Amino acid sequence: MYVGQAIRRREDERFLRGRGRFVEDITLDQPIAHAAFVRSPHAHAAVTHVDTAQAAAMPGVLAVLTGADWTAAGHGEAEGVWPVKDMSGADSRTAYRPLICVDGVVRCVGEIVAMVVAEDRHQALDAAEAIEVAYEEKPANTITAGALDPDIPLVHPAFGTNEVMVTEHGLKEETEAALANAHHVTEVVVPTNRVTAASMEPRAYLGHYDRVNDRYTVWTTNQAPHIVRRYFTKSLHIPEHKLRVIAPDVGGGFGMKLYHYPEEGLVLWGAIVCDRPVRWVGTRSECLLGDTHARDHHTVGRMGFDENGKILGVKFETLAAFGAYESQWQASITNAYHFTMLSLAYDIPAIHTQVRAVYTNATPVDAYRGAGRPEAVYQVERMIENGAQEMGIDPLELRARNLIPPEKFPYQTALGITYDSGDPPVLMGKIKALADYDALRAEQARLRAEGQWMGIGISAFFDMAGAGPVKMMNDLGAKVGCYDVASVRVHPDGRITVFAGSHSHGQGHETTWSQIAADRLGCDIDHIDLVEGDTDRVPMGIGTWGSRSLSTAGMAVYTAADRVVAKAKRMAAHMMECAPEDLDLADGEFTVKGTDRKLSFAAVANASYHSGDRPSDLEIGLEETSFFDPADCTYPSAIHLCVVLVDPETCAVTLRNYWAVDDVGTVINPMVLHGQVHGGLVQGIGQALMEECAYDAESGQYLSGTFMDYAIPHAEDVPSFGLDAHFTRALGNPLGAKGAGESGTIGAPACICNGVIDALWHLGVRQITQPMTPKKIWRAIEDAKRTQH
Amino acid sequence: MKPPPFDYCCPDTLDEVLTLLAEHGEAAKVIAGGQSLVPMLNLRALHPGVLIDINRLPGLDHISLEDGQLRVGALARHKAVLESAAVSEASPLMALAYPYVSHGPIRNRGTLCGNLCHNDPASEMPAVALASGAEMVLQSAGGTRTVAAEDFFTGMLSTAAEANEILVEVRVPRAPAGQGAGFHEVSPRKGDFAYVAVGATLQVADGACTGARIVCAGVGDGPHRAYAAEDALTGAAPGDDAFRQAAAAAADSIDPSEDFHADADYRRDLVRSLTRRALADAASRCN
Ligand SMILES: Cc1cc2nc3c(=O)[nH]c(=O)nc-3n(C[C@H](O)[C@H](O)[C@H](O)COP(=O)(O)OP(=O)(O)OC[C@H]3O[C@@H](n4cnc5c(N)ncnc54)[C@H](O)[C@@H]3O)c2cc1C
Repeated sequence: MYVGQAIRRREDERFLRGRGRFVEDITLDQPIAHAAFVRSPHAHAAVTHVDTAQAAAMPGVLAVLTGADWTAAGHGEAEGVWPVKDMSGADSRTAYRPLICVDGVVRCVGEIVAMVVAEDRHQALDAAEAIEVAYEEKPANTITAGALDPDIPLVHPAFGTNEVMVTEHGLKEETEAALANAHHVTEVVVPTNRVTAASMEPRAYLGHYDRVNDRYTVWTTNQAPHIVRRYFTKSLHIPEHKLRVIAPDVGGGFGMKLYHYPEEGLVLWGAIVCDRPVRWVGTRSECLLGDTHARDHHTVGRMGFDENGKILGVKFETLAAFGAYESQWQASITNAYHFTMLSLAYDIPAIHTQVRAVYTNATPVDAYRGAGRPEAVYQVERMIENGAQEMGIDPLELRARNLIPPEKFPYQTALGITYDSGDPPVLMGKIKALADYDALRAEQARLRAEGQWMGIGISAFFDMAGAGPVKMMNDLGAKVGCYDVASVRVHPDGRITVFAGSHSHGQGHETTWSQIAADRLGCDIDHIDLVEGDTDRVPMGIGTWGSRSLSTAGMAVYTAADRVVAKAKRMAAHMMECAPEDLDLADGEFTVKGTDRKLSFAAVANASYHSGDRPSDLEIGLEETSFFDPADCTYPSAIHLCVVLVDPETCAVTLRNYWAVDDVGTVINPMVLHGQVHGGLVQGIGQALMEECAYDAESGQYLSGTFMDYAIPHAEDVPSFGLDAHFTRALGNPLGAKGAGESGTIGAPACICNGVIDALWHLGVRQITQPMTPKKIWRAIEDAKRTQH
Repeated sequence: MKPPPFDYCCPDTLDEVLTLLAEHGEAAKVIAGGQSLVPMLNLRALHPGVLIDINRLPGLDHISLEDGQLRVGALARHKAVLESAAVSEASPLMALAYPYVSHGPIRNRGTLCGNLCHNDPASEMPAVALASGAEMVLQSAGGTRTVAAEDFFTGMLSTAAEANEILVEVRVPRAPAGQGAGFHEVSPRKGDFAYVAVGATLQVADGACTGARIVCAGVGDGPHRAYAAEDALTGAAPGDDAFRQAAAAAADSIDPSEDFHADADYRRDLVRSLTRRALADAASRCN
């Protein structure tokens, strides 16, 4: 058995030796031209004039293109994959992100106004600098909290409001009643900071038009290549069968690389116009500005408790930033992933949430590792923490009293979602032991007596992973079917190629999909190759996002492999003159049960392609495809616990310990699982302590355009993680596996913030907006001192 | 690929460098490690006509202790300075501060002299140079002159070096016997530019502080020396009371800038707490 083993990642050899093949590494017969873009330096402005004459005459320049050219060519914009509905049932006020400014108004810093295509990158940049754009600045707003206030400038005046839509979910009256009758009510105002994925490989695209065969090819840093074809049907009006999309090695996606970014459409447009392949590779500054941003909620929440700390009801009012335009998947956050998960790991009888999505003059927001769930956990856990502190109940004990007990599974939350399996109390018991919780509280008391500030943070949650099923996700708004696809092709020599509609950009599918296939096919893992990320080779796919690949594409691999085995058994039975049911398949050989009669898998494969001696109703060949629609989402769960130390003078935070206990169902590869948890935790720690896409409130200027200003954690900023696990089987797929990609980012921000608040509670500090940089902690303490006097 | 167009020369001798500088003047930029210059070029924040690369010049990567002076040449990399025994012997303050200067890959290329010429307001070494009474040896086609640190750092990203001069060497007098040093910094992550850094040196004679030096980085246009705090210490008995008073005086002596990373009040309070810590450390290292 390969499943369950920590075998080394098969893809690491090429990555560690620098031999990966990324979009920037692609070479073609024709020389590749380069694109550069002129971007708005203003948050909101009318574009009154674009003068391209000088640029067009510069050396090496092949084309200078503007929004007017785009419109003249009849091109359009990509549609949302998850279009929004207002709770009234009406369509929301939707303005999709344009690929290039076409209506004479730029609505955020970085919006593309013109493109230069030139022989080399340098020439393209020089020419872009020579394009003169005249702007008339307009008032702008980048702040989510105030977006619906009366005098705030409108991002899209035609709508008459900055509100995209309002949605409400849960039990309104029950929640009001629960709060009214509560023994204690905790109220918090919690903004969730705007962050971005900051993937190691910047976004990059290469477009090519083959005029002879009338076919288009796009190499793209994308997580869902088949969905890219869908975008192009609306942006450049290219039929899906005419476009080949290749997502080669991609260096990190995190949700951020799911979308039809302006540059992706524009390079192919440039290639068509210039009759030359055109490439663009984002600079770090372009990416920090133009990659979708994430989170950016502003929430007011109230939670009611009885006298024992049992949660009676909780109510949320959230403003959720869309940024200047609606990005293709944005509404999946507000309409599917955020509200559904607000019960976390707790048995809460009444929940009500209202979300008002708003436009601001900022980069569009979309999904990033966790997408809606980090916000949900932060919003709920901040209330639980403050509630426990206010009521004088040990925060872990108060949580334990509210966990969903195992006998309540499958557990339907007050929001109507049903968690199939889980056992939160066991996770709590494990983390309590792992961290030696009681000793930590004793240490905290001792240090506090010495003037040292130590805090213990906790968060406990469920995640909705593994989107589909198709119908459920359609009902939550998805316009793409959330299934996935795999083909298992056995070659005549018995070796195997697996084609999957998922895409690995750090997840290790070459290893884990092969583990699954090798077990089902009873073969050596080295006899299997995996193909992903090419729409001409893989039949169909919905891609990798939302911790879904294992329970969709992985299960399609499983199912297709089983179909191959069923067919191969019929051929083998024919050859061995027995019944297919009498055969076992292991170690590359069919054996007749209870005998020593054997036939190699390779011989059966060869006969499947080349022998006329076969059952009359058995088709030639040995290849099967599965379009796998899971029976349910998966609901992984976890509890995190951390220790922070806050320097009483400088307010610098040291994250001293971090523990996480995860329930991700059946584990394919524990090493890959740990890698996923580690990476997610570090990104969550970044969100908590240092990461922020910041705008100047006055000018709307973007302040986080380099890694000097957008800090992400270094290895030395994080402790060695203490991980443990407890597994309950997922019920929606044959392996019982749950998603594991997002747990770290989902739980860490809340956990760390609760730790810092716990360290400072005795000083009167009740909330600190993330990232909790030393200056904000210092300010919060100063403010607390002032209000206490 | 990203910078604006420029001409580039990479001479083999110092004379050639000086001739080129004389010829091009303001249009020229010297490039040493490139760790500050190249980011600015890539952001197209600078448009130099010509880059004069000094990396091929022979004999300028020295780090030596001669005649009671630490001498660090224009091509001594951060990494070499950080690991140099001569530095820890001659300038404990510099040795304490160096681990805070940037990250491994940047230290492999960046130079101490380039760092001093760049004079980032949050940079540690200009403050150390100021505290240590360092001298800058500047050379042009017209000759050589020496400028004291207190005259060298003239403001935000600017120094007394003329466009036709290069800093060939920085000289740091050996720390007096018995002097103790302390250095503390708060930055977003270790190796990042400081929100605030404070360095202090101290001597104690007959139970009283003498010759205190207190310098700050990250509080204004460039390195800041807290004279009032030094004066407050002179003659005082070393100890928490004296250090707290000096720390308060240091905090009063600055008019810190506000930016995205830190506001003025926080910076002032950091100067206070870090000064006290640096002095306490320095006192514990006096002998
Ligand atoms: C991510 C990052 C983090 C950093 N963190 C820190 C930090 O925490 N603390 C810190 O102090 N620095 C930090 N730095 C800057 C780093 O220390 C640089 O190496 C240093 O500031 C410049 O040295 P250089 O040799 O690379 O100079 P260059 O970049 O080559 O040049 C810098 C400037 O000095 C001029 N110059 C260089 N050498 C000479 C010379 N001999 N004579 C005259 N002019 C000269 C150049 O013309 C240019 O104007 C950081 C840099 C980066 C990229």
